[in-house]
Amino acid sequence: MKALHHRQEICTGCLACEIACSTAYFKTEDRNKSSIRILNNDNTFHANICTQCGECINMCTAHAIYRDRNGVVRINKHLCVGCMGCVGFCSELAMHYSDDLPEPFKCIACGICVKACPEGALEILMSKS
Amino acid sequence: MSKILKEYTYTPAKIDKGYSGKSLYIHVGDLRIEEKEVTEFMKEKFVGGKGFDLWYLWHAVTPETRWDSPENEIVMSAGPLGGITQYSGTGKTLVCAISPLTDIPIDSNVGGYYGPLLKFSGWDALELQGKADKDILIFIDGNKGHIIIEEADDLPEDSHLLAEELTSRYAENEQDKVNVSVVSTGSAAKHVLMGMLNFSFYDPRRKTVRFKQAARGGLGTIFRDKHIKALVVKYKGIKGDTNNPADLATLNRVGIKYHKQMHDLDDKQNAMRKIGTANTIMVMDKYDLLPTRNFQTGGDPDAYKISPQVFINEYLTQGIHDGCWYGCTMSCAKTADHFPLKTGPYAGQCVTVDGPEYECAAGLGANLGIFDPQAVLEQNFYCDTYGIDLISYATTVAFIMECYEREEISQEDMGGLDLRFGNAQASLELMHQMSRGEGFGPLAGLGIKKLKKIFVERFGADENLLDDIGMENKGLEYSEYLHKESLAQQGGFALTNKGPQHDEAWLIFMDMVNNQIPSFEDKAYALYYYPMFRTWFGLCGLCKLPWNDIVPADNYLTDTPAKVPEHVQNYVEIFNAVTGKNIDKEELILQSERVYQFQRIFNIRMGKGLREHDSAPYRSMGPVTREEYLSRQERYDKQLQELQGLDPSTMTLDEKIAKTRAYREKQFELLTDAVYKRRGWTNNGVPTIERLQELGMDLPMLLEIIKPHL
Amino acid sequence: MITVNTKEHPWHKGMTVRTVIQEKGYTFTHLVVRVNGSPLHESLYDSFEIHDGDEVLVLHLMAGG
Repeated sequence: MKALHHRQEICTGCLACEIACSTAYFKTEDRNKSSIRILNNDNTFHANICTQCGECINMCTAHAIYRDRNGVVRINKHLCVGCMGCVGFCSELAMHYSDDLPEPFKCIACGICVKACPEGALEILMSKS
Repeated sequence: MSKILKEYTYTPAKIDKGYSGKSLYIHVGDLRIEEKEVTEFMKEKFVGGKGFDLWYLWHAVTPETRWDSPENEIVMSAGPLGGITQYSGTGKTLVCAISPLTDIPIDSNVGGYYGPLLKFSGWDALELQGKADKDILIFIDGNKGHIIIEEADDLPEDSHLLAEELTSRYAENEQDKVNVSVVSTGSAAKHVLMGMLNFSFYDPRRKTVRFKQAARGGLGTIFRDKHIKALVVKYKGIKGDTNNPADLATLNRVGIKYHKQMHDLDDKQNAMRKIGTANTIMVMDKYDLLPTRNFQTGGDPDAYKISPQVFINEYLTQGIHDGCWYGCTMSCAKTADHFPLKTGPYAGQCVTVDGPEYECAAGLGANLGIFDPQAVLEQNFYCDTYGIDLISYATTVAFIMECYEREEISQEDMGGLDLRFGNAQASLELMHQMSRGEGFGPLAGLGIKKLKKIFVERFGADENLLDDIGMENKGLEYSEYLHKESLAQQGGFALTNKGPQHDEAWLIFMDMVNNQIPSFEDKAYALYYYPMFRTWFGLCGLCKLPWNDIVPADNYLTDTPAKVPEHVQNYVEIFNAVTGKNIDKEELILQSERVYQFQRIFNIRMGKGLREHDSAPYRSMGPVTREEYLSRQERYDKQLQELQGLDPSTMTLDEKIAKTRAYREKQFELLTDAVYKRRGWTNNGVPTIERLQELGMDLPMLLEIIKPHL
Repeated sequence: MITVNTKEHPWHKGMTVRTVIQEKGYTFTHLVVRVNGSPLHESLYDSFEIHDGDEVLVLHLMAGG
């Protein structure tokens, strides 16, 4: 299973990852449209990212969430009804939404932010699912 | 290929803030299809859902209309919040008609997808009037704007087969099945007055059609009497803004807050996601409130055999979304999958059985003296597929069983059925007889009110005893809660509009255990506030369970934790967010009260809305028999002392029973006085002109009905 | 003597909220407790002492049907 990982000891909080993500998927430089969120805790930078745990899969009220062939958890936009149940249920608080988007969005371990990070604090790791 | 009788093309109205603005009228005899405007007046006074249903039904019928008159209508409507996806319990439909059991309007609140899909297809409400010559099916394609009425010969009778076949027929492929919903009943509905309607939804995980029920009042009986075999709707494209809400951001915000609360707290509270409403079975047993053997006692040493844990461990699929509409994270509609049937025409097959809900385990279990979980589930399956109202069935059969055990009727009178308490096989055989229209089935299917008369006249039963133990009010059977020690709940059942269904008020714990409503005024307030609050859900397309089957973590700090103030505020916010209106929690109650008063006056119009019709059988109020008195002797003796200043040690058992009865019957009358006053009614239960004026409901059509009684 | 839901109940030394719940046979798990009008979080039921003359409310928030 593919998942994005963040190393807080390297992260400088520059937010290049957030800009890269929201630009790639929503054509805007907007933290609120990024699937990675960097949180500043007294100058230590944690990342809020989807761990691909898959808890949302069984609770989805439209059966719209699934794992792709890399084990990444994805939303099928054709089936999603915008109930935001997954946003409320995510234990990691890593399922995001915006009022102008019909479906929630999440990290799909695409690697765009990995390339954008000037410090090399992000990487995509494969693990046994 | 079925013969098409009528085709109708229309332009589906765009939904504006929860309303399509149009309703659909179909006369199934003449095959006449009409579109009606939903007016601002209707939205203002009646809101939607049950309000719209009653408004249309009023205009369709006369005081002479009976359930099988052609002009009787089945009307259904979701309501302005019906079909939103962001909050829990938002897919309900309200169905109304003149009931075969009561002769007054019944209103029934049902889940499943039909009502929301109907609205998105362009119809705020659907009226079905007249009678077809032969069985018909009505199909609405809400994306294409197409209505087809076709002959429905060659289709199975029973819902689990019928809805599965129709869902497959009308869906383009597997993925499209979730966009189809079927309204149907079953083979018993032609033979009993307690027939119900199933509203389907397709479960893509289980790959099977499932149902919720518009159960009470005999709607399925009317459906088949009109020769309607099924209604099918198809609509594709549901999103969070399909209702075109005025304020989507608020809907999202409030919904997410509620989902998070469900995630964090449900396991610690009622575990609705695991077990649904059946979580209360053992609580009720422990508090001596589980109706057992026709409401004689409050529990049984064997109740643990039908405890929630048994169903969770041995029967119910766990851990996947179950809910009966999108967005419901309470997800309380459980199923037993691959359940093998042992009796009847489907014996040997493995089926999906919904439930058991609390009513099922209490009614088909404890109240019939049956403590076998397999039998509870199998009876549930057959009630569902045969189209029988489970509550009316359970309370009726409980009555029959007690009559038999007390030798008021004989086995021969029942066509050889050995319907004693605990005999699950006999109960199942009775259901199969109802399906086939044979044996004792049709007689039992008449319901308690008519059965009492027949047992007395035909079999020589004791009229007074049967009046006491036959648990019906206004002709509808009581739902499954032992309330004989709760004066407030006696009112909660009898002082209702449609009959003793607990959707109006559920006050047993508040009254008996919490002792929160000790005075008549306290009880009268509760029997004003809670019915008005709880029936508001039926105007809007909402389910009551998410209101208080989970509460916020800080609810215990509020002044009125029983009202769950944060959730009341949620409802105010989402109502305004959808409709663009600006109600507050006070106006919410008034919205509901307008329709409540309308329904009361509708009852008066139909000949049954006065004080005499709000009376209750004595089994509802206190111990009828010696065994009942002795089962709670300590409590009853203490009450004779404390409440009446009598000395039980000097009284015979029969004297004690008589004195207890006289006291309790008097208490019920005093309660009725207080409740009527609080509701703005005369002492005969008639809404006053003053109250109607205060509500803005002093409509000439209503004043005409009440004036002769004032 | 204390009152529980306005009805008299005998008091004894060392009584806690948990004791009251047990003595009354309140097995329902979703309770709201107030002692002399002040709400109490369930984490305190085992430790919170009840004094003679206290007014205890143990509300069962039963949703019902």
